[in-house]
Amino acid sequence: MTDTPPRSRRFLWIGAAALAAFAALLAFLPTPPEAEAPGEANAETRFAIVDTTVFDGTEFLPGRDVWIEDGRIHRVGQRLRLPDDLPRVDGAGRTLLPGMLDAHIHALASALGDSLRFGVTTVLDQFTMTDFAAAKRPAREVIARAAEADLYSAGTLATAPGGHGTQFGVEIETLESPDEAAAFVAARKAEGSDWIKVVSEDGSAYGFETPALDAATVAALIEAAHAEDLLAVVHVSTLERAREAVAAGADGLVHTWADEVIPEEDAHSFAEAGVFVAPTLSVVLSAAGDSMGEALLEETADRASATQRQTLGNTFPRASGSPDTALENVRRLHAAGVPILAGTDAPNPGTGAGVSMHGELRLLERAGLDPAEALAAATSLPASAFGIPDRGVIAEGALADLVLVNGDLEADLTRSLDLAAVWKDGFTVDLALAEDTGSFPAAPDETLISDFEDGLEARFGFGWQVTTDAISRGNSVAELSVEDGALLVEGEVKAGFAFPWAGAIYFAGAEPMQPLDFSGRTTLRFRVRGDGSPLFAMLFGEDPTAGIPPTVPFEAGPEWSVVEIPLADFPADAPEIISAIAFVAQAPPRTFSFSLDDLEVR
Amino acid sequence: MTTGSAAAPAVLPGGRRRSARTYLLETRAQFLSVWRRPAFSVPTLAFPLMFYLFFGIVMPSSGFSAAAPTYLLATYGVFAVLGPSLFGFGVGLAADRDTGALALKRTTPMPAAAYFFARVATAALFGVILVAGLFLLGAYGGGVALHRGQWFALAGAILVGVVPFSALGLWIGAWVKAQAAVAIVNVVFLPMALLSGLWFPITMFPEALQAFAGFFPAYHLSQLALKTIALDLGHPALYHLLVLAGETAFFLAMAVRGYRRFAG
Repeated sequence: MTDTPPRSRRFLWIGAAALAAFAALLAFLPTPPEAEAPGEANAETRFAIVDTTVFDGTEFLPGRDVWIEDGRIHRVGQRLRLPDDLPRVDGAGRTLLPGMLDAHIHALASALGDSLRFGVTTVLDQFTMTDFAAAKRPAREVIARAAEADLYSAGTLATAPGGHGTQFGVEIETLESPDEAAAFVAARKAEGSDWIKVVSEDGSAYGFETPALDAATVAALIEAAHAEDLLAVVHVSTLERAREAVAAGADGLVHTWADEVIPEEDAHSFAEAGVFVAPTLSVVLSAAGDSMGEALLEETADRASATQRQTLGNTFPRASGSPDTALENVRRLHAAGVPILAGTDAPNPGTGAGVSMHGELRLLERAGLDPAEALAAATSLPASAFGIPDRGVIAEGALADLVLVNGDLEADLTRSLDLAAVWKDGFTVDLALAEDTGSFPAAPDETLISDFEDGLEARFGFGWQVTTDAISRGNSVAELSVEDGALLVEGEVKAGFAFPWAGAIYFAGAEPMQPLDFSGRTTLRFRVRGDGSPLFAMLFGEDPTAGIPPTVPFEAGPEWSVVEIPLADFPADAPEIISAIAFVAQAPPRTFSFSLDDLEVR
Repeated sequence: MTTGSAAAPAVLPGGRRRSARTYLLETRAQFLSVWRRPAFSVPTLAFPLMFYLFFGIVMPSSGFSAAAPTYLLATYGVFAVLGPSLFGFGVGLAADRDTGALALKRTTPMPAAAYFFARVATAALFGVILVAGLFLLGAYGGGVALHRGQWFALAGAILVGVVPFSALGLWIGAWVKAQAAVAIVNVVFLPMALLSGLWFPITMFPEALQAFAGFFPAYHLSQLALKTIALDLGHPALYHLLVLAGETAFFLAMAVRGYRRFAG
């Protein structure tokens, strides 16, 4: 008993120690990151909305539970057996919609974030800058927390040289004849365009004349798009061009028209052709002088961004077309069975990204769609029309892009702006507006910007430059010089652009169009001398690309006089956020000359 | 009665302890004799680790599959226990018999079972060392991360392989001479490893070759190991276990016949 040889005992210990070390090794080998462990995956995107009315993309289904796992819809049903630890959102008395898809928007600057905060989780852009689209497209492929709606985009639109779409100061490729169509479409496809947008617009509906693609080129573009396996959608503003586009095989029209009511038989032949229509009543009615902008602005004053407030408040320079004709066209197309898609054409005057989708729902209802049809137009129909999977429906496996609205939308569609929550890929979206003020560098304490004693200098900021409508293909010209310690602006306003202008612009930020925060200042003050005709001061805000900048006219007689304009007089919501100030002459065409001195914001 | 029943417990513990000591000493002796023979221990230990390093970690990074380091950790684990078991029994037993070492041991009071236990335990110890090495390589070289339970289950599934592979080695070692055993083990070892999908996933082979896999215990064991990490082909675990048990029984039966032939 006591004679156990030490060798065997030692071997036993060594063996036991080796096995213990092996077990310890197994106990310490790396495990997958916590986030990927079953049941813990994306804890934030795992929850259920219980006992709610679901609009699934087609119909209202009361008393449903919707279970979200990993950013996707896991189960939809009545009285689901949900795990005890699953966080629940009370849906009683509320309506749950798929995240909306805006079928016609121009995604610039803050449009994607503004859309998302209003429940538009995906936008179908019908013309934006190629680089912007390329930068934003990848986000739609991943499930992740996002502050912006996902983007699908036509990229650059197809238009004639100098035609509609070229007036925004962005150089784009244009075409003139059918034989250029294939190369044009191939170039768009190479840039990543998700479909082809064709402009068929001669301006006639708006009382002006603009170069337009002829019917043969429109048809060639549609054919080339189909050859590249891309959809082709067409901008029209007249019945005649709508007929042409449908005859040429267009997949969709991205406006209705307000010039003529479509005859019933044409509506039926559109339906037979299988074409869809995104009427964009928001913009068509705004152009016809019946904008919803002000009403929407009032409802959303507490949460609309500066850009949304500005674009909703903007108006078209003159009304064209009849609102009733536009609505009647939608009513007839819908009755004939043409799929109607909700789109806003934001940020055109009278519209706001995101906000106007809620206005569009109401306008579609005015045009005869019932609430379920209007909501389908904003969810499932654009997704299926543009072939975008997993969106616009509440169904198992679809993305958890969801909008929870307080109230029963089936009974009252206007409740749609009363958002209880928005989810993108299962992540909760912050509906509150990030604070505008404070997010920009504060302007220096000094109130004087330029006294022109030492030439064209400014005390701060990027400084002075010429500004004319040449950036929009206009012909106006201007020259800046310094004479007797004042800025002399000489030039000519020439015809060639709808709203010609020429003058001087001062950029307040270190880079052009970078805003400074002038909070606490109240007045724009300067000395001026001119030829007596009206001049205009323009204030550019946070987003200088957002439509026509707030403008205030002033007089400049032959003697030096001091002009003081309260910042509050500029029709902007945050006039203290200034990226640039311009002093310009506008139409009618003429030569002009004025001198400016001692510019202050005080 | 009273004294008899009292005496028995006094004797038995000592007998058991002595018997356990015999098993332990024989295991120690065999392990050290194998360990101290570099011609055996170095390739047995180095090859699986080296192969895994090349095929599981270095090469996959050039575009094989993100799951490759994890998948091949299971199959190279099976490959790792296949070597010591087959060679230990197949070649070791044949050599012991040819040199007379086995006959010598049979003249001692050591139970015959201790000899076989020691062979299996030695193979298992080599297996533990290799699995530890492979897991370290996979985890820290290949970025393999498994749930805690999976690490244990994978290690267990791989080490179970010592039993059927030892039985197969026993069959070979019982039937042929030592020199022939080396050749035969190699003829069995390498093709079986390849065709069972231990080096590359079996699905990468032509279908005609895939059909062979079902015959090999290494295939069934690798499927069990892969099942612990959810990368198997999806057959029920019971099927693989039954085939393995059946094959093990067959190998043992054949080994006993061969052993009797030499003994008799």
